[in-house]
Amino acid sequence: MGDGGAATRAEPDRELVRRMAAGDEAALGQLYDRYSTLVHSVAMRVVGDADDAEEVVEASFWQAWRQAGRYEEGRGGISTWLVMIARSRAVDRLRALRRSREQAWEELPEPSDASTDGPALDAAESDELRRMVATAVATLPPEQRETVELAYFRGMSQTEIAEATGQPLGTVKTRARLALQKLRGALAVLREDAR
Amino acid sequence: MSLDMTHDDVQAALAAEALDALDGPEAAAVRAHLAHCDDCRRELESLREAAASLAHAAPRVPMDAERSARLRSRLVARAAADAGAGATPPRAVSSTDAAGVDAGAAGTRVIPLASARRGRSWGVGWLAAAAAVLLLIAVGTYAARLKGRYDALGERYAAIDTERTELVGALARRDSTVAALSGPGVQVIELASTQQRAPGGRMFWDPQTARWTFFAHGLPALRPGREYQLWLITPGGPVSAGTFKSTPEGLAQVQATYPLPRDQLRAVAVTDEPEGGLPQPSTTPIILGSYGESE
Repeated sequence: MGDGGAATRAEPDRELVRRMAAGDEAALGQLYDRYSTLVHSVAMRVVGDADDAEEVVEASFWQAWRQAGRYEEGRGGISTWLVMIARSRAVDRLRALRRSREQAWEELPEPSDASTDGPALDAAESDELRRMVATAVATLPPEQRETVELAYFRGMSQTEIAEATGQPLGTVKTRARLALQKLRGALAVLREDAR
Repeated sequence: MSLDMTHDDVQAALAAEALDALDGPEAAAVRAHLAHCDDCRRELESLREAAASLAHAAPRVPMDAERSARLRSRLVARAAADAGAGATPPRAVSSTDAAGVDAGAAGTRVIPLASARRGRSWGVGWLAAAAAVLLLIAVGTYAARLKGRYDALGERYAAIDTERTELVGALARRDSTVAALSGPGVQVIELASTQQRAPGGRMFWDPQTARWTFFAHGLPALRPGREYQLWLITPGGPVSAGTFKSTPEGLAQVQATYPLPRDQLRAVAVTDEPEGGLPQPSTTPIILGSYGESE
């Protein structure tokens, strides 16, 4: 395989999950060191509140710990797996908040990112994936971007999105498809480059 | 109610499924189709991965450092207690467990009271009614008091349980520290300062158990947003053994598990890096200790 940083990084990642599955709690700590910022960023984007986000981060890493034995090597690797858990926990939390407050969508706290500026990349963000995805998302037509973001970060169903945006259901589906296909294309390019 | 969907219908709906945005009946129909269509399953998997990549577009918001450190130790302690508690490793667990389900609210119990039967005479009827009302009030008060005690006990229990988990975790960490230092084949690597002040460190490495225990002293205070990162330098490059902060007195302790063949360690180093650490060191080591058994 490649000799790049990604390969050397991917190996210890898998190793961490293997050790977690064997009951080594230190591995959970290391996974946390590596990904808590990513997981927290997703949680903040979805729930928009530091206390709720902290609960989401805790629930996510705890789920990772309990399910490490069932982790199957997917194409996206450990960060994709963790992010899927985190997003799912965050959306659960958001829905619970919505139920408890009986809030309308419009009344939910607006996520910190008004989603016009790109993600705040800093020195630690040498991560190629992040830059590529951010670019790919930024270049999506606004209506496609809105569709996937409402679904992904607000946990809205296609029917809710259709209502919120005043578009027919078929249009919502098409926008979701075009957007994800474009992102998939960007990821494929990234993989090619890494090869 | 089942929805009829053709292969093409399902294909058109897969992106929405990848975003968990399908509504009930359609989601059920799509899942039924997926059970016997490899093409659609593969397509869904790649779309899910694309959807997951959206996470990287979220603005980067690191958690407050202290909060994060507390959460980290809470998680590790919970995991230590979890791993130590059952002989069964944390395998098959229902997903609800992980979702952090709240303990069911101690719902208000409805105590069925036999409906008061009408008395024969008004006098008796009044008495019976008054007695029933009194009884109802008494039962209600008693139930409320019980509920209050139940809640208070529940809270105390939760507090004690948390404390216990923390203690078990702390004890487990101490035990593993002692074990990591006292093994027969434990190697010790001294790290000396490369700067004028005098920070130093000592790594205890037990190759048999793959445990690394590191102590440092005299570490300079970090700038905000920075952390120390510990590295194992191997012929293949530096391997991160985790990030850490020092106490105000400049002390720190790090434990890691990382299997490494004896001949693969060249040195141990500590660098000053952005919070959360980097895949590769970006600064020159503050302390460094070389190692080579053959030499």
